[in-house]
Amino acid sequence: MYQQLINLKDALGTHPSLKYVISQSHWETDFLRFYQSQTNYNISKEKHSLHCQLYKDKRSFGFEVDNPDEKKVMHALEDALKIIDKMPADPDFVDVEDDARLAEPRPFTNNIQRIGLKEKTEILQSLAKSVAPHRFELFGTFICNNSRSRFMNSNGLDKDSQGSPIYFEVKAVNKENQVTVLETFGGENFDFFDIEAMRESLLFKIENAKKPVVDVDAGKYELILAPRCVAEFVQYLSYGMNAAALDRHSSYFEGLKDTQVFPEIISITDDPKDPQMVQASYGDGGSLYEELKLIDKGYFRAFTCGKYYHHKTGEPKNGNTAECLKIAPGEHSLEEMIASIKHGLYISSLHYMNFINMRDTSLTGLTRDGTFLIEDGKITKVVNNLRFTEHISEILKNATALENKVYTIPFSSNYNMFDINTSKAPHAKIKEFFISSSTKTI
Amino acid sequence: MEQKIKSIIAKLDSSDITFADVRITITDYEYIYFSNGNLRGMGSSLGSHAIGIRILKDGCFGFAGSGDLSDSSIDKLIKRAKDNATHGAAFQKKKLSFPALGATQGEYAFTPEIDPFTMDREEKLDFLSRLADSIKPQGKIVYSGVSANFEKQEKYYANTEGSYYHSVVYNSDPAMSVAASDGNEMQSRTWPGHMGTGRAGFELFYKHEFEKNTERIIKEATDLLSAPRVKDKKADIIIGGGHLGLQLHESIGHATEADRIFGQEISYAGKTFVRPEMLGKFQYGSPILNVYSDSTDPAGMGYHMLDDEGVPGKRIDIIKDGILVNQQTSRHIAHLLGLEPSSNMKASFADDIPLVRMTNLCIAPGKGSLEELIASTERGYFLDFTKTWSIDDNRNNFQFTTEIGYEIKDGRIVGIVKEPTYFGITQDFWNACDGICGEEEWAYQSTFNCGKGEPGQVMRLSHGVAPARFRAVDMLPG
Repeated sequence: MYQQLINLKDALGTHPSLKYVISQSHWETDFLRFYQSQTNYNISKEKHSLHCQLYKDKRSFGFEVDNPDEKKVMHALEDALKIIDKMPADPDFVDVEDDARLAEPRPFTNNIQRIGLKEKTEILQSLAKSVAPHRFELFGTFICNNSRSRFMNSNGLDKDSQGSPIYFEVKAVNKENQVTVLETFGGENFDFFDIEAMRESLLFKIENAKKPVVDVDAGKYELILAPRCVAEFVQYLSYGMNAAALDRHSSYFEGLKDTQVFPEIISITDDPKDPQMVQASYGDGGSLYEELKLIDKGYFRAFTCGKYYHHKTGEPKNGNTAECLKIAPGEHSLEEMIASIKHGLYISSLHYMNFINMRDTSLTGLTRDGTFLIEDGKITKVVNNLRFTEHISEILKNATALENKVYTIPFSSNYNMFDINTSKAPHAKIKEFFISSSTKTI
Repeated sequence: MEQKIKSIIAKLDSSDITFADVRITITDYEYIYFSNGNLRGMGSSLGSHAIGIRILKDGCFGFAGSGDLSDSSIDKLIKRAKDNATHGAAFQKKKLSFPALGATQGEYAFTPEIDPFTMDREEKLDFLSRLADSIKPQGKIVYSGVSANFEKQEKYYANTEGSYYHSVVYNSDPAMSVAASDGNEMQSRTWPGHMGTGRAGFELFYKHEFEKNTERIIKEATDLLSAPRVKDKKADIIIGGGHLGLQLHESIGHATEADRIFGQEISYAGKTFVRPEMLGKFQYGSPILNVYSDSTDPAGMGYHMLDDEGVPGKRIDIIKDGILVNQQTSRHIAHLLGLEPSSNMKASFADDIPLVRMTNLCIAPGKGSLEELIASTERGYFLDFTKTWSIDDNRNNFQFTTEIGYEIKDGRIVGIVKEPTYFGITQDFWNACDGICGEEEWAYQSTFNCGKGEPGQVMRLSHGVAPARFRAVDMLPG
């Protein structure tokens, strides 16, 4: 599979003045999308590509060749060699990565082969049958990816990695009023999937979804954020934990290293080795991806930082990319947390968030797939989807309790190749969360 | 390639296949970006091939895509697409309806004024390098960027109904930005804004007058640091074309993609508040609002002679005199709604499945210049250059922030405000529209990055708009 990569490495070996980073990868997906408790479409798709980044002194040029063969690769290299001397230099470039450590091998299963279309369809048929008597239908996606890549550079790195993440999202939607509840499964190990647990949770949520639908006014609310929401806010926050953001002066955390930024209950790590999550072997530039404490008991401890920004900002190099975020659990049960709220909200999922100002972490977004009213410690009604306009930093500062349990939440980066990653998070109780308007719809 | 695609279609002409289509794309892509005056990245992917085979069998579509166009790969793709359809049909309540369509043939080639892939590369780099140098950090400017993305895509389409189409298009995406900081906060300005891409080559840099606007964005980003915020809870606003394109895109464009009515996008992009029974009755906007979908205009990035399921390009009214009259549809969805297909099925690359997509979605021009519209506004804000956008699952509640607002008093611009933020409900907002500028202000605003579908696709498309005024809009006071 890697013959073109090896050929390219050999060709580059004849140009000692060049530094390079080259990789070859094969990615495939088996993608089932369903709606109204039936298939929308089944897609199989694959991509085989070779990428090369060349450096000469401080000049750089990159090229990608899809479905590479020797003629195409050598032609692209020839073209790159013609242009590279004519390019402006980047004075901040120093060298390519030199972390030659190899990741420990981990068990691997190709989940496209492990979970065939027949099994996926049977799971969906079974869940659809369970929700149908409640007049709910299923919508969502059941995706398995499989990828393998090899990476080399002029400092002698030669690393191989593979992954096969699963993303299964089921939305049960009420046929009459569109009230929606959500269940997901994600990770790389399908042995953790428990259809009975998913069914039980869906049916429990459907009981709440049958409650009357109301609207609420704009204002500040005490609320419970579901783990998906906590994880998504922290993912957005992590943009500012990257040394590139620090370099652009767009990081909230500029000047706040080793400062208490959040309450003591907040601890966030980037952990690529959790077996319940989508794991990662290598990070920025091919460096070994290891566990990194980002927020420790409320104190900001580290920027994720590769070699380039290490040189520019002086931050320690770690190669982390914040793809495997874990928010540590707290001490309370979910029942206790809900019971402690006199008048508030439960938010299941977020939609269409966008920063207003990345540096101060202000953003707007909406609730989706199940927003509920809490009255006297109980979920009493369904609420129309709501808009919030908040600062993520304030949301975390206003965290008053975390659940004593964490959940694996899958996310998809829905551009180019359908990359899947996971986070782990508990439910969180937040005070003074600003709801800025209602959508007046479910 | 014509022979290849036709030979694949011949293989799919069998009694167990109701309909099939095949697309092949060959794409050249080049990116260049400068950060703080320094070239940080330049690269290309040339001659990237993709093929997609879609088969309707047993009342269900199956699809398979790849970058490998070898005969053995194509045979595997046909088998996978068939298997995917067969398995899909096992989890289906009703067979998919797909009325037949006559055959259409077409050829189209766009020629840019300056081909970004064949122009002198030193000249290209020199221009961009000078531009990057002219906005690099100084004074309160702490970050600057210049970027360019160029794309050339050749596409072949054929289906089992005998349709065949071959096209070559060029799209360009030029941009520059600066960020200013006073140590506490940060404000930014971009040029030409969020929707500055277009069906063009390198000439787009000259058409957008980048060099003339470097000083403007530096000054405005710096001035925004000390500018006030909007204090009003409601205000009259005039929205400039660069941002109005996005307002149209989010609250009319996506809302009238009819696949959303049936929940086909619930799992990712969302639903719509639009219901089939609203057609011909729903007062979407004020009577001066006319919106149409036009895939027949080659000036926009949404132009095609045939869409990606063989429907010839069309211009159709979506909103006529404020009333919702039609939808953007596929052949299947149009049949469910009792409509003619609108020629809106598009895929980003051949190995993506086609989806209901905007093409050139436009607001018809009204009357008068922007200057006249501002002069007739007693008090309000002129907003342009998108900073933040967000809209709900049903395309009903939106909130936008622009990079800058120009305060209007007694028909004149008197100052600037930072991060003006307005929000609203779609129907209320478009019914508050009381002025749309004329043809002299009308232009295409285009984007490279309209995300939809899973696996995700980003579509290139355009919006023709002229600045428009909206009365008593909800503002988020700072």
